[in-house]
Amino acid sequence: MIVAPHDEFAQSRRSRWPLALALLVAALLLVTAGAAAVLARLGRPFIASPFNATPSVGVDSDNPAYLTKLAGQAVREIEKVHPKGTYIVVDSYRNQLHLIQDGKVIRSAVCSTGTGRVLRDPRNGKEWVFDTPMGERVVERKVTHPVWAKPDWAFIEDGYLPPKDSSERFDNESLGNYALYIGDGYIIHGTLFQSLLGRRVTHGCVRLGDADLEFVYHHAPIGTRVYLY
Amino acid sequence: MRLSALACISISLAAAGAKAGAIAPEPARVAALQMEASLAKKPDVYLLLDPERRVLEIKARGAVLDTVPLAGIEVISQQPIMGRRLPSHAPIPAIWTVEQGAGDSDREIIAPTKLVPEPKNDDDDTEDEPTTSAGPTPTPTPTPVTPSSYRSRLDSGWDLWVTDQLPPQTRWQTLLAAVRDGWRRLHGRAQNYIPAITLAMTDADAQRIHHLLRTGMPILVADEM
Repeated sequence: MIVAPHDEFAQSRRSRWPLALALLVAALLLVTAGAAAVLARLGRPFIASPFNATPSVGVDSDNPAYLTKLAGQAVREIEKVHPKGTYIVVDSYRNQLHLIQDGKVIRSAVCSTGTGRVLRDPRNGKEWVFDTPMGERVVERKVTHPVWAKPDWAFIEDGYLPPKDSSERFDNESLGNYALYIGDGYIIHGTLFQSLLGRRVTHGCVRLGDADLEFVYHHAPIGTRVYLY
Repeated sequence: MRLSALACISISLAAAGAKAGAIAPEPARVAALQMEASLAKKPDVYLLLDPERRVLEIKARGAVLDTVPLAGIEVISQQPIMGRRLPSHAPIPAIWTVEQGAGDSDREIIAPTKLVPEPKNDDDDTEDEPTTSAGPTPTPTPTPVTPSSYRSRLDSGWDLWVTDQLPPQTRWQTLLAAVRDGWRRLHGRAQNYIPAITLAMTDADAQRIHHLLRTGMPILVADEM
């Protein structure tokens, strides 16, 4: 069969296509790999290494009797301040309050704690942080049918000027039937808003439902330690 | 809160006491006990990071208030994939203090633009809805979502990185991460982090300790307290 020169050329071109494509792909791969290698060399990824938990510092002594004495002293110091008897623990993230007596939880209750928000007074820039405090506090006094003397922030938050007449500050409903004062204006008290229990909605106080508040009031004497976190 | 933890708050102390009484304790253990005693003297909450037991304990006055189990404790640092130089180890036992907390800057600010006199309510016969007043004003806006991965700066010069997921560490994943970071650096968008002690925990636990990692929070790092 006689093949026309034109057909021969076309056939030759067709046979080179796969080779050209392969070369192109290889070239692209090389360029991509090269670029990736350059970028990888440039990059600083996070590398994890195990945390070395081997103690590396200590008391400057190897005298066993002295070490024992120091350890005993430290343990006694901790035991002296360790919670004992009846105490209250407040978990301000989960909004839970636990009343503990001699190591046993005798009441767990849903509570409400501080929002963590900041209120700013537009007149002078003064700020209040609505956090429930953390750490150890003490029940300083207990009151039935407490009256709340509303501080300035209670008005400012609602957009009102604090009243000059102090009689306009008194509120005998909002705190419920009982209040346990734990210092610096923070109170464990009741609420008009039972549906908000379990949420962070307060200005730092700890709110409880009526039944739980009554129980805590009757079982936590003055001097009871309160641990808030 | 883990009630069992509450009921057993004295166990670690008793054990420490027993150990102290039976055989001479290691100098490092004595140092750790002394550090804990110095923290327990104050009424503040502190954290105990125990790498051996893989727990972070929330404590006050030597008592465990709550326990957070850790999925891992790693030192995470940014390294080139070739020629790595891992950061030196932090000496323990030690008390680290949060210098710049993750929970410091995420507060919502309420700022009324102006204040007006409160309207007088002279009509005693009408009963108002309890809208204003005592501590208890219901909040109109939803509570902001607490992050489950965040960094706090420590006075030890390290970061404390709380996360629900450790960075991927297979060779392939590390290579991909290096390429991605290289790309960001090429475009001037890379961030440089100082080495971090990384605590891996569930997202729920990471969220619940977020408010504790504020400036000033002491963290005792010690084994088997």
